[in-house]
Formats: sequence, structure tokens, C-alpha cells
Amino acid sequence: MNFWEKITGSDMTKEFKSFESRVKKLPADYQAAWKKISANLWPHSDFTGRNLMPIFDGVLGLLEEAAADGQSVQEVLGDDIKGFCSALAGEEGAKSYRDKWREQLNNNIAKKLGK
Amino acid sequence: MLKGVLEGCVLEIISREETYGYEITRTLNAIGFTDVVEGTVYTILIRLEKNKLVEITKKPSEMGPPRKFFAINDAGREELRKFWEKWGFVSSKINELKEKKQ
Repeated sequence: MNFWEKITGSDMTKEFKSFESRVKKLPADYQAAWKKISANLWPHSDFTGRNLMPIFDGVLGLLEEAAADGQSVQEVLGDDIKGFCSALAGEEGAKSYRDKWREQLNNNIAKKLGK
Repeated sequence: MLKGVLEGCVLEIISREETYGYEITRTLNAIGFTDVVEGTVYTILIRLEKNKLVEITKKPSEMGPPRKFFAINDAGREELRKFWEKWGFVSSKINELKEKKQ
């Protein structure tokens, strides 16, 4: 990633385009699941969303492998996509906005208490 | 609670022979964990990978994209030993409790 890409995020746009073209090759129910997964993953994003890129890549890999096996989406992900996503983002150690706010809040309170 | 237990189970399955996500899920389903889905196993595998308990090789499959194969390493074997030790302790204590009640 060079400086220009870092500032404009054009590297991510490129990566996302390649994700999208991979998604298009999946069966329809997988595409629907992908939409749900990406919607549920964004709350775990950091400021730029770069932390999510390897996660997206991994999940897409899982979906591709499973689709090639001829499994149904239900068999692969179950019905708790939200839980799946938070487990996923948690494992990857992606710090989210919420964590940052929580940290900030804790710090502020600690300061107010004069510690 | 099941999650920590499942992590041990997955590690045990990997320790027997090099395997991949789909096969692990099927093995778990076959022994009676019927509601375990591949997504669950996937998140466990990520954690095992992050904790450097497994070695990963990518191998091409007959159809579709290459698969990730998992094999146990020395750190993994040590972790697995600890897991069974803990499990032995917990299950013996729980059985003790159950028998006292009756």
C-alpha cells in the first residue's frame, strides 16, 4: 500500500471490487448470506475499515469452499449470523468504534475521579 | 461453555490426521453435536491458527477453490494434553456431585 492508496482508500476499493466479483459467482442464497454478513461486520470496523479486509477475504473463502461442496447456506452458517460475525470479528482482534468509545468513557471517568 | 469444549474437540480431531473444516464439522455432527455448523468450526479454527496451535497448508481440491488443511503442531499437542487433563478433572467432579445427590 503506497501513500496515495492509504489516503484515498483506493486499495480497499480495488479489493472490494474483487470481493464483489467473487460474490457474484456464488449461488443466490450465498449472496444473500454475504449481504447479511457484511452488514453485521461493519459495526466492528475501525476508522478506515481496513481491519475487516482479511476477515471478509476469509469468510468469502469459506463460502466458496462450501458452495463448491454443494452445501446449503443454512448448513454452513446456521441461523445466528450475528453471533457468527461477532465471534469472527472478536477472534480477529478487530477493535471497533464501540470499544474505543468504551475506553474513552472509562478514561474520562477515571480522570474525573482523580486517579 | 460448549465453545471451550468444542475447541478441544476440534483440536483432538485435527491431532488424529490432517483435515479441513468441512470434514471436522461432519465428524462433530456424526458423534452427536448435530447443531454445530461449519461457521462455528471456522471461528474456532481461526482462533487455533492465531494461537499457533496448528499448521496450515493450502491444497487444491478436485473442484472449487483450494482448501485449507490443518495439522497439529507441538504447541497444539501440549494444549490438547492440558485440555483433556482439565476435562478429566471437571467431569470427575461433576460425576461426584451427581452421585452424592442420589
